[in-house]
Amino acid sequence: MEHELCPAAEMGTTDELLPLSSRRRFLQAAGVLAAGRLVGPAFAEAGPREAAGSGHRVIVVVIGGVRREETFSREGLVNIPHLSGELFSKCLFFPHARNEGVTAHFNAISSILTGNWQRVDDWGKLAPTTPTLFEQFRKGLGVSAGNAWVVASNKALTSQIGASSDSQYGPAYGANVIFPKQLMLQAVADALRGGRTANMADRSKVEAELESAMQGSNYEGLGWNIFDASDRLDPRARETIQNAIATFVHSGGPTSGDELTFFMSREVMRKFAPQLLVVAYSDVEAAHFGSYAMHLSGIRTADRLAYQMWQEIEANPEYRGKTTMVILPEFGRDPDGSSTNGFFNHRANEDSTRDTWMIALGAAVDRPQIVERTVRHVDLCPTLAGLLGCPPVTMQGVRLAELRG
Amino acid sequence: MQADARLPEKLEKALKKDVLKRLPLTFLPYVNQQIIQWSYLFPNERKAVEALLVYVNDLTAEQSERLFRDVVEIEGKMGVRHWKFSTAEQTIQDSSQLASSPWFQDWRRAVQAVFDAAEENARMAGGASDALRNRLVLLSMPRNIAVGEASVWRRWKGMGEAHAVDPSVSGMGQGAMEYLLQGAPDAAASAVPSVGAGLLITMQKRRDSSLANIWVVDAEKSLVESILAPGSTNAQPGGAILLSYVRLERYRESFAHEMNSMRKDLSDADTVFDRLRKVEVTKWCPREVLADPVIPEFVRSLYLSGNGAVIFGNSFVEWAASEAFRRARPALLAAQFGMRGKPKPFTGVAVFENPDQVNPLPTVDDLPGSATDAEMLALYVWLAACRYDEYQKRTACVCLAESLGRAYVVAPREFNALLGKGPFSLARLRGALCEWMA
Repeated sequence: MEHELCPAAEMGTTDELLPLSSRRRFLQAAGVLAAGRLVGPAFAEAGPREAAGSGHRVIVVVIGGVRREETFSREGLVNIPHLSGELFSKCLFFPHARNEGVTAHFNAISSILTGNWQRVDDWGKLAPTTPTLFEQFRKGLGVSAGNAWVVASNKALTSQIGASSDSQYGPAYGANVIFPKQLMLQAVADALRGGRTANMADRSKVEAELESAMQGSNYEGLGWNIFDASDRLDPRARETIQNAIATFVHSGGPTSGDELTFFMSREVMRKFAPQLLVVAYSDVEAAHFGSYAMHLSGIRTADRLAYQMWQEIEANPEYRGKTTMVILPEFGRDPDGSSTNGFFNHRANEDSTRDTWMIALGAAVDRPQIVERTVRHVDLCPTLAGLLGCPPVTMQGVRLAELRG
Repeated sequence: MQADARLPEKLEKALKKDVLKRLPLTFLPYVNQQIIQWSYLFPNERKAVEALLVYVNDLTAEQSERLFRDVVEIEGKMGVRHWKFSTAEQTIQDSSQLASSPWFQDWRRAVQAVFDAAEENARMAGGASDALRNRLVLLSMPRNIAVGEASVWRRWKGMGEAHAVDPSVSGMGQGAMEYLLQGAPDAAASAVPSVGAGLLITMQKRRDSSLANIWVVDAEKSLVESILAPGSTNAQPGGAILLSYVRLERYRESFAHEMNSMRKDLSDADTVFDRLRKVEVTKWCPREVLADPVIPEFVRSLYLSGNGAVIFGNSFVEWAASEAFRRARPALLAAQFGMRGKPKPFTGVAVFENPDQVNPLPTVDDLPGSATDAEMLALYVWLAACRYDEYQKRTACVCLAESLGRAYVVAPREFNALLGKGPFSLARLRGALCEWMA
């Protein structure tokens, strides 16, 4: 008989059980801690499109938990036509990129961003314990806050993802962290509370609901930590967000959280052209609710949005020719038949959950090739730090020689 | 099986001899919780707790020290004693700490070894082997779930064989599952009712018949309502556990409301859970769920453990079936999948909320999405059964795809001999299933 001492761990995350109101309060708490410490006056410096260090630009796209079976396998290729098509033909492909740490969202992404396997609280209450790529970049090269951003859909993340608890670094050198999906969730909650749910069915009114949510009593509640000291959203940040919302609402396309995250990321690129941008998608996490079809749909969305991001890089003169884009899942998902309920979760200590893949495109790729050896998620941070020209920092990860600045 | 709060004599004796003091720290939340909830445990669960504690109690001090040595060593490496670790019940915080530890996998293996030893001891002590009884897992993707011929059983990787089924005998308005469970509509009135009888009557005549042994899980409500209907050929009410996602709507919605009204945050997930563990639920239950106090509690645990059971009917079916196998080891589990709506524009992100409440746009059936979900989850139900010894040798699994007029059968040779070669009628399938389960 299988033992049952740890059912909650077997079942994976419980974030799906937590209500909107709770999530909001949690983010409020997290946001309050970060408020005023990040961009602040530094935002004004973001205008001149500085390019520090090597001048290299880096965009990392993380797409939640997906198995090889649904992606880079014979049956899975249908879900990733862009990654396995147009992008594959010009990429450096690592078929085996392993997550050897905790396969939960906050720890997985913070391991990628720090080059060390993180084992902090899964709920994002605690910051990573070693410096993030943002801090290495900003402190090492004296870069302003406007040059490092995280735009994330995943509700398991908090603004703690932007900076470590390392006393030599910390939030003063962290990234701007924004959660566009929280804006949508907030708009839904507000409309529900205010008896205006009809507005959410009317495209022309959704924009107003989203803007109203954004301009509500606290931006921290939405995960925005791009403040100025007077507790008002920086006008340039406000315009960025408004543009993203308008594009999102009126594009006539799909309206998932990842779509809004993409539009927001693109606006950030157009407005601030950060040298370092991390985008975290999470539509695939519908798997936690047991809908395989919605999980597959999330993969297809991430595939398309990764392609659109690459198109933006190619079209945007701030990025064209000097940017490396890396795409990787946080981890896989559990195998069919596992005691952790298969694709629903990502807790099993199996290859299906740990062994993923990674794609690199752009300036650091000399020629398209497949690198058969296994690499680790923690190897990405030192590699990207090297591309950006950051002074070396000791990490568990080692630099990937195939990516050269 | 009305709940009996009394502990078995042997277990009482072991507890009086302080057997719990012999257990490693990480065993205590589980064991304490099971003892507190004894009234709401299925017989199989009671057996497992009893087997463990009686086994440990019968060991000498040296033997029990040896049994738990690996677990205790790993707990030391993990630093469990320095954690904020509840020993009274299983908590999210406990689980989170265990799962974040680099020793988690080693701990799991060591714990499994202890349970294996206890189980082996119980087997050696001559406990009747449930593995020798015939069992059945019956799955149905009804006619409105248009699964793909090429995809429907691809993931089963050749475990079984597909057969053509002629659904035309299913009778007046009956779905295939209804017919198999209840028999022909006129079976009750027939001079020889058993001739046309369905699986439910067959099961209720079995020597091991009990509530926990027969489960029907419905992603919608028509199947369960047909069993509950006056004049149904189903024998006695309360003879089977009947769970319908749609009929549980009030429970589900009220539960979700309770969750949404909590003034707590993620870091206080355990407080949220604690409140939900205690909230009175019987007022939200349909009558079939009130047939035994163990059933509302089972549903509560489903909703608390997530995996989409509160969100989608098909996830509810899969998770309820998986938990039924884990906790109750039923002889018959019948599960019917259903249709879910498409996520609505803009508000689809708030999947935890009732979509009809947050967006007035009419719900549109997600035909291909529901079929994709059902294909995968039907397999998952069978794989969930396969994890337990009881289902290894004498279990037949029949998965019906009504829209295709086909059934996929994974079964021992003896069942295939009863069924014969396809194509076959539903009547022949019903006959074979009843004979297998008689």
